[in-house]
This record gives sequence, C-alpha cells and structure tokens, in this order.
Amino acid sequence: MNAPLPLTVIYVVYALGLLLTFGTILTWVERKQAAVMADRIGANRAYVRIPFTQIKLIWMGLFHGLADGIKMLLKEDFRAVPYDRVAYALGPWVTFIPVMLVFAVIPFGGSVAPGRLFPLLAGSYGDRAFPMQIASLDAGLLVVFAFSGLTIIGTMLAGWSSANKFALLGALRAGSQLISYELVMGLTIVGLILIYGTVDLDAIVRQQSGTVLGVLPAWGICYQPFAALLFLTAAIAENKRIPFDLPEAESELIAGYYTEYSAMKMGLFMFAEFIEIAIIAALFTTLFLGGYNLPWLTDAGFVLPGGHAFALPHALVVVTQMLTFLLKVLLLCSFQILVRWTLPRFRWDQLLRFAWKFMLPLALVNLGVTVAAVAWLRGLAA
Amino acid sequence: MTETVLLYLFSAAALAGAVVMLIARHPMRVALGLISTMLALACLYALLGVHVIAVFQVLIYVGAVMVFMVFVIMLLDTRDPSFVARYSRLLLPGALTAAVLAATLAALLARHHGGRLRPPGGADFHLQPFSVAFLRDYWLHFELTSVLLVVVVVAAIAVIRGRGGRDG
Repeated sequence: MNAPLPLTVIYVVYALGLLLTFGTILTWVERKQAAVMADRIGANRAYVRIPFTQIKLIWMGLFHGLADGIKMLLKEDFRAVPYDRVAYALGPWVTFIPVMLVFAVIPFGGSVAPGRLFPLLAGSYGDRAFPMQIASLDAGLLVVFAFSGLTIIGTMLAGWSSANKFALLGALRAGSQLISYELVMGLTIVGLILIYGTVDLDAIVRQQSGTVLGVLPAWGICYQPFAALLFLTAAIAENKRIPFDLPEAESELIAGYYTEYSAMKMGLFMFAEFIEIAIIAALFTTLFLGGYNLPWLTDAGFVLPGGHAFALPHALVVVTQMLTFLLKVLLLCSFQILVRWTLPRFRWDQLLRFAWKFMLPLALVNLGVTVAAVAWLRGLAA
Repeated sequence: MTETVLLYLFSAAALAGAVVMLIARHPMRVALGLISTMLALACLYALLGVHVIAVFQVLIYVGAVMVFMVFVIMLLDTRDPSFVARYSRLLLPGALTAAVLAATLAALLARHHGGRLRPPGGADFHLQPFSVAFLRDYWLHFELTSVLLVVVVVAAIAVIRGRGGRDG
C-alpha cells in the first residue's frame, strides 16, 4: 500500500535531502578518511566565520564539501565544441537522475502511523500505518536494476559525444565494464531472491527482522555471505571507483569519459558517483544487513531472548529504525571509501577477466548451491 | 484529471520520440529517439496501473537492448558519412506499409470505440501472477518470438550482404 500524498511528499523531500547531503558529506569523508589512513591531518582549511566575530567554525574541515559545491557552481562553464551537441548536453543528466530515482523503492524506515505520532492527525489517519518507502512496488528490486541500467547510457553518451579520444576510450571502457559487472550483480542477487521468495524490498527487509539459530540476526548476509561479498565487489565496479576506475583513470585517460566537461556539468558526474556510494550502501543494507532492523527490535519495542520485553513509544521506534538505517548506510559508505584507498587499480584486461572468468563463475556456483539447498530444505519441509 | 493530462503528455512524448527516430540522420540520434519513446511507453504502462510491464519495459528494452545499441553505435562510429542521405531507396514501400498499418489500426480502433480501452490492470499484473502466467501459459509464445528474432537477424544480414557485397 502506498502512502497518501502528503506523506509521500514528505518522503520525497526527505529522500532528496538525504541523498544530496550524502553527496556533499561523502566528498569530505573521502578526503578525511584518506588523510586518517595515510596518517595526515587532512582537509581542515575550509571554515565558516560567524559574521562580525572572529569565531571560525572549522568542525574538522566539514565545510570542504560546501566549498567544493560552491566552486563547481561558480567556475566558468567552459563550452567545448562537442561532436554531438544533444548527446553532450544529455550525458550528465542521464547519469545523474537514475541514480537518484533508485532510492524511490528503498525502505528507509519501518512503518509509520501518523495518527499515533501526532494526535492532531488521528482524525484523518486513524491507526493506519504506512511503510516508510516512497514507492512500495512489488517489483522493487527490478526497478533498482532497471534504473541503474540507464546510467550506462549516460556515461557512454558523454564520452562518445565529446570529440575527444580520451573520452571515447573512457566511454568504451565504461560501457564494457558496466555491462559485465551488471550481469554479475544481477546473478548474485538471484540466490537471495530464491531465499526470500520476493523482490519487494519492503517484504525482504521485514523477513530479516527475526533471528537465525537463536543468536544471529536473520540478515541476508547470514544466509548468503558469499553473495554479499560478490555483490559489494560488483557494485563498487558499477560505480567505477578504484580499483575499478579504468573508465576515468587519470594517469591513463585524463578524466576518461568526462574529460570535456567542466564546472557543474562535471560536478554532476562527481555528484552522481558520490550519491551512488550512498545508494550502494543503502541497497546492501536493505538486501544483506536487515535494512532498518535492529536485532530484537520490533514495532512494539525490544523483545529480548528469554521473554524480556521493553515497550517503546511509537515515535521512538520510528526514529530508532530510521537512525539504524542511516548508521548502517554511513558505515558501509565508509567501508567503500576504505576499499578505495586500499587497493591499487586493475589493468584493463585483468578487470574484464576478473568479471567474466572469476566473479561470474563464482556467482553461478553460489546460485547453484543456493538452489540445491533451497530445494533440499523445501523437500524436508514438505 | 492529473492522470489524463499525464497520459496525453507521455503519449505525445512517445510520438515525438518516434518521429525523431524516423527523421534523424545520425544513428545515435535515432537511438536516443527510440530510448525516449520506450521510456514514455513505460510511463504510460505505469499510469495504466501495470507497473510490472513498465519495469520490464525499462529493464529489458532500455537497460539491455538500447545499452547494447548505443555501445555498438559508439564502437562502430568511424565518422562515416553513409548516413548523410536522409531517405533510402525503400522510402516508398516503407511509407506504403506504414500507411496500411495506420489504416488497419485506425479501423480496429474505430470498431472498438466506446469499448474497454483500458487494459485490465490490477491483480493480474502483479509480479507473482504475471510471472506464473508468463512461464506456464505463454512460454511457447515467448520462445516463438525468439525464433522470430533469429529470422530478423538473418534478414538483416541478408540485406547488408545484398547491398554491393561490402563485407564488414
């Protein structure tokens, strides 16, 4: 059931704000974490001075993301002479917009009952609860793959239309890399779909709320640890970040497919990349880390093993679930940045061989084992 | 009200994309026209309440087929001027066929006018019933379509080979 219009508008505003904030914050996290990993002090120069005082708010360089954004907006919008004007103009948008759209089907919290949150609304909403998800579609996971397929077209359009050999090479690399890893990413998920029996993301998260074997939370990563590893690897490759950043490898191709873009047009590519980090983290959280679920937290409150129960008010449960989701996403973003600053770049032939001769067979083996296990367990149950 | 406006808007977008596809010269522009038509069609399906079809439209046609087309156009684009001529020799037969098709569709539409134009959305088109029906009742149709696709590929190769014997 979809939420009513006012609630949906609130969800959309929340999602947009969240993604844009992540896009900005992650540029800072990337630099700060790189500095910490390299034992440097790192980004600490940008500050906001409170007017008419000498009080400077540095906040560990948190305003570097803001400074970056302003720089992108105010730089000269250099007009290259492209090979194809339409495709050149479309490129950044076709890359950026689908990334944002993916979040529409990801549940970012449990269910919320507006009537119970605000007594004022009890008249119009009563006790009805709505899932915290912009579009609850039964084909949710397919929507994710449908939209992430669109970004490939954007990168290829940008590189092809740029009238630049480096850009064209970058676009060719991007096309073949993204197509290869999208296949792997899809195959790793099939096992999970078999276990959950649905592609509705909200239902998938709800199935992860219990526990397995009494102790482990019933998260996807406990059922499919191997698929989780493969999925995260393929997702980082989809996002074209080190060690998979061949399409934009600066030591080989300047900036790859977006060499000919400047100012905010280039900023859109960067922004899309950073938002995609958050999207990947949100997707991984939803599929493998139980989404908004905390162990033993139900809609009524904590129910600990052994029968102890702590009832929590509805508002606290809603906020806890949203914060749990955000915390998981943030940790996973940080993990992706950790990977980015740890591994060296692949060579091009290694990259494709890794996809087709290593990851794809492994994903198939994982799927085969899952099919056998599910069939055997169903046979036991029947 | 909103739905009707959106319906006409996306129909217009689909038509505009199709027109661009027909009159554009460069293969990449043609591909872009086709992509926008397919996206607009997906929006129409979603508006008519058949989300699953809309998702598959984007997933298969745009996400897979068109991605490959754009990739191939990019790969083979040697700035070759063969597409400068806007119309091929098959313009007249093509136009005739299009006219016949349009007339047939118009006649069919006129006969069923006032009848049920909305497709049966709702429960039949949720993912689970749809997949079950697809794999249980319509698998033969699906396989026949793939045979048809092979025929089309063979025909395309024949057309290319037949034109002056210029092997790729």
